Amino acid sequence: MPGREALLARTFVEAADTLVSDFDVVDFLTSLAARCTDLFDASEAGIMLTDHNGGLQVVASSSHAMQHLELFELQHSEGPCVDCYRSAQVVASHDLDADRHRWPRFAPEAIAHGMHSAWALPMRLRETTLGSLNLLRDRSGPLADEDLDAAQALADVATIALIQQRAAEDARILNEQLQTALTSRVTIEQAKGVLAERAGLTMDVAFDRLRRYARAHQRRLTDVAWAVADRDMALVDEVAGHA
Amino acid sequence: MESEFLDALHRDLGAGEGSGARLVQACRDATDVTGAGIMLMADGQHRGTMGASDAAIAVVEELQFTLGEGPCIDTFTSGTPVLEPHLRDPDEVRWHEFSGPALAAGVEAIFGFPLVVGGVRLGALDLYVDHPWELTDEQYADAVAMADVVANAILALQSRAQPGSLAVELETGVRLRSVVHQASGMVAVQLDIPVADALARLRAHAYSEDASIDDVARAVVDRELRLE
Repeated sequence: MPGREALLARTFVEAADTLVSDFDVVDFLTSLAARCTDLFDASEAGIMLTDHNGGLQVVASSSHAMQHLELFELQHSEGPCVDCYRSAQVVASHDLDADRHRWPRFAPEAIAHGMHSAWALPMRLRETTLGSLNLLRDRSGPLADEDLDAAQALADVATIALIQQRAAEDARILNEQLQTALTSRVTIEQAKGVLAERAGLTMDVAFDRLRRYARAHQRRLTDVAWAVADRDMALVDEVAGHA
Repeated sequence: MESEFLDALHRDLGAGEGSGARLVQACRDATDVTGAGIMLMADGQHRGTMGASDAAIAVVEELQFTLGEGPCIDTFTSGTPVLEPHLRDPDEVRWHEFSGPALAAGVEAIFGFPLVVGGVRLGALDLYVDHPWELTDEQYADAVAMADVVANAILALQSRAQPGSLAVELETGVRLRSVVHQASGMVAVQLDIPVADALARLRAHAYSEDASIDDVARAVVDRELRLE
């Protein structure tokens, strides 16, 4: 099917593109979920990811009905997605009616919404499982091997993109802290110099005055230092006199 | 590069103290150059030297801090490696003030690699050789790998800090040039100019007197020198 091949290829390229540029996670995953229903023999698709506390959250769904079913799984801690996340393996049901014993609450709910088969593919990179890519279909039966393979490959690319993005985000935050800390150290040293010169103090005494002033006036040390280094002379004299 | 080497390095860095010294030695050994230095940058400024494996590289770091030009500066600004295999007789002169003093210190080839994590730049890794030399493909690859290790190590160290303050290991391990900034504060009051201008005056004085900026700053703080 040339049309599908082209769409699959394009989807991979778009997913890979996120690796080199900033992207909106929810936007990316919502598009991916929607694209899955076009690419594969699935009626609905959704994605669940762990949050910072390790709990699963529904991040993307191809419809409100799908969202409801995914939330249902989480609320009852039962279903293909939950099993998939726990085992980090593909979980499949070709016939939800026959598999009621596996998911006594989820299966009837899915059937009530017209779904008769389900697949959950792990979003996983080595030891890290981020969540799952979930497919539901309105009739029973297996999913073609090539569909399963392609869907897993998509899940894998998405996983890498997400891990990269999280790492980059963490790094950005840490680096900002580092930059701020380095800059504030410089400011404090400059402030010591200003005070020392203005009031004839040693550097140690100057630092002591800065700290006392900041504490007494409940201001951040860096803020006081910045104002002193900026040569707010009225403040400088006040700080210097703060024995 | 051997993965056991990287594992050992990661274990080593977990200890924290002396990280800078260990890192530069590891960089030097991994890339098989004469010396290595690590520079932290913030706000586009050279903010501190995290490690210098020998006196020559210490001079290289000092020069870049004083002059505001050099391989670390360029690699940080561009985000790509800067390679000068023949500082004495380059294809094109990159650094008019830096080259002479660097050569005098024994630097004949010098290479800068940016420290980047998740698209964010932290500083630069300097590698030098005491004779003209072009990095082999293997050395280049090892340098890129080490720059990655160093950048991640710095952030890992910072992650242990209280929010808003510098990690203890970075505080003690990085040469922050406190004296220079103190002197800037003093000169700012003496000449009634902003601290940034005061720093520029200190740099200019150091350059014109062919002295290190650290010595000039020390003299100002000790009240042995007063700039006009």
